[in-house]
Amino acid sequence: MKQAWRKYLAARAPRYTSYPSALQFSTAVDDKVYQEALSRVSLYEPISIYVHVPFCKQLCWYCGCNMRVENHYDRALDYVDSLIGETRLVSAALAGRGRPSSVHFGGGTPNYLETDEIARILDAIECEFGLTDDARLAIELDPRLIKRGHLAELARLGFSRVSFGVQDFDPDVQLAINRVQSFELIESCVCDAREAGIEDVSFDLLYGLPRQTPATFAATIEKTIALGPDRVSIFGYAHLPAALPRQRMIRDRELPDTDGRAELSLMADEKLVAAGYGRIGFDHYAKPGNSLFSAACAGALRRNFQGFTDDVATTMIGLGASAISFASGVYAQNAKTVKQYAACIAEGRLPTERGVVRTERDEAYAKLIAELLCQRDADLEEAGRILSGGEIDNIKQCVMPFVRDGVVTFDAARIRMAPGARELSRAVAAAFDPYAGAAPALARVV
Amino acid sequence: MEQVERIMAHRTVPQNKAILKEGEPNDCLYVIVSGSFRLTKYLEDGRRQVTGFLFKGDFFGVRACDESAYTAEALEDSLVCRFPHAFLEEISTASPGIKDRLIARGQTEYHKAQDHIVLLGKKSAEERVLSFIELVGKSVGATADEDGEGRVIPLSMPRQDIADYLGLRLETLSRSLASLKKKGVLRDIGRKSLVLSG
Ligand code: SF4
Repeated sequence: MKQAWRKYLAARAPRYTSYPSALQFSTAVDDKVYQEALSRVSLYEPISIYVHVPFCKQLCWYCGCNMRVENHYDRALDYVDSLIGETRLVSAALAGRGRPSSVHFGGGTPNYLETDEIARILDAIECEFGLTDDARLAIELDPRLIKRGHLAELARLGFSRVSFGVQDFDPDVQLAINRVQSFELIESCVCDAREAGIEDVSFDLLYGLPRQTPATFAATIEKTIALGPDRVSIFGYAHLPAALPRQRMIRDRELPDTDGRAELSLMADEKLVAAGYGRIGFDHYAKPGNSLFSAACAGALRRNFQGFTDDVATTMIGLGASAISFASGVYAQNAKTVKQYAACIAEGRLPTERGVVRTERDEAYAKLIAELLCQRDADLEEAGRILSGGEIDNIKQCVMPFVRDGVVTFDAARIRMAPGARELSRAVAAAFDPYAGAAPALARVV
Repeated sequence: MEQVERIMAHRTVPQNKAILKEGEPNDCLYVIVSGSFRLTKYLEDGRRQVTGFLFKGDFFGVRACDESAYTAEALEDSLVCRFPHAFLEEISTASPGIKDRLIARGQTEYHKAQDHIVLLGKKSAEERVLSFIELVGKSVGATADEDGEGRVIPLSMPRQDIADYLGLRLETLSRSLASLKKKGVLRDIGRKSLVLSG
């Protein structure tokens, strides 16, 4: 990476998995607003369903997710009942409209739940929203909880995509983050998945972890390449111990600095690309032939709460505590704690706690930012149909420093990321995003 | 009305052949004389949605348009009658309301859209499957089975189409049919027909 670009790496920017980001959510959006938004979904509109499972067996010290360590499976069973209750409430509001194109189980740890519970949730989704064989089922898995035959069971339920939380293969790093899982364990999980006929296997890796060095992380990437997952995502660890007390278990002095982080991320990028993976967005990689790769080539890549995706549904139904939905221009987030969430369902009320209604102006910015992140090429002319001339001029002015440094090029009609600058696309977006300036405590770009 | 029926042109449509294609212009009204059709449309995500089934006496192509909103394919060798909309317009000056009177004798693609919403609103797989069977029975007319204790409902569409239409996975459809049989609601399950009890 060019020397002049490095200064942007320390910049903080939203992850842009939604726009406006969750920082703009307020209690102005409640269950009534969400219900009304659901009633405006059209008959055969593709909908993407996300199911949040907020339980884990053990705490990873880097964790920034909404989860809790749960030792009583009974509580998880109660939670599954609430989830099923929520499918009924949402489906009453949809009244037969919408058609699921995908179901994604995330967490927490979705495989904290036994396969029977996962099957019950799928059945409820089928009865309430309709679920056909062409819908894509995906699940995030903690390798440490995978038992013999587990992946075959999931494949039988129709799951065709699994992602394993790998993070790092180095034993010393694993100790420092309290997530110990051997290479052999991951290897056998991948074998099981392949044997079960699961066609899309993905690894989640993290850089910026304590005790990571270029040498240890290079070994992690090499092991990853050896196991040959179809997709890899590499996220930067966001160390925010003030906001997330659990991260205080991680020693600040063991963390790589900004330059160190950049080095790790660029090295991983080089290795994966040399091994034949294609770059997707700024933090995903996929093998040629994978549907994410094809979507990126076709300019059809999208960004949603799960990151970069080839899912074309605009409407998202989030089920479970803290899950976020997007329907008819409304973002709606559920109550964050399991207790509050379950209480709403018990009262027969949609558990919406906060959210934001996207305005036409937000929509224009959302589109520009998504284009920049997904296609590295944003259409200002199109945005100018909604945004005023003054606003477009302001956007241009905001990205001027990036133009001077060669990070982006632009003309009257478009902003384009320069080759090799994709890591900085969030920083560029944040520069002209009217909400970003005011936002506190954002994650670093790298 | 008789004048209309004399003019109508019959046309045979072999199985799997589309008579109307999504996105293509349509200038005729069709009535099914025999056989059955499947209505489908492509969704934004590229998947195909089965939106309805049409049987003898049903109409489609109710409005002339530059781009049909759906595809209509024959599920079996079928016979249709077609009325060019231009012709219907012409004669409607002489006998106003002729088109409406014609259509009033059967169901149209718009009725089918209504049926679909009602079916998708049913919350158990078995309920959805049973309502569907009854709906088909009403449209095609059930015949008594050999010992006169069951009603035979012919099913010209493949199972996968039924599952897609009902928003169910194929396996769930099979399971629901098996369960309805176990409960005695169905007497028999065949590939091309079902027998309802009583
Ligand atoms: S498994 Fe995931 S959600 Fe659970 S503690 Fe670890 S990082 Fe957090």
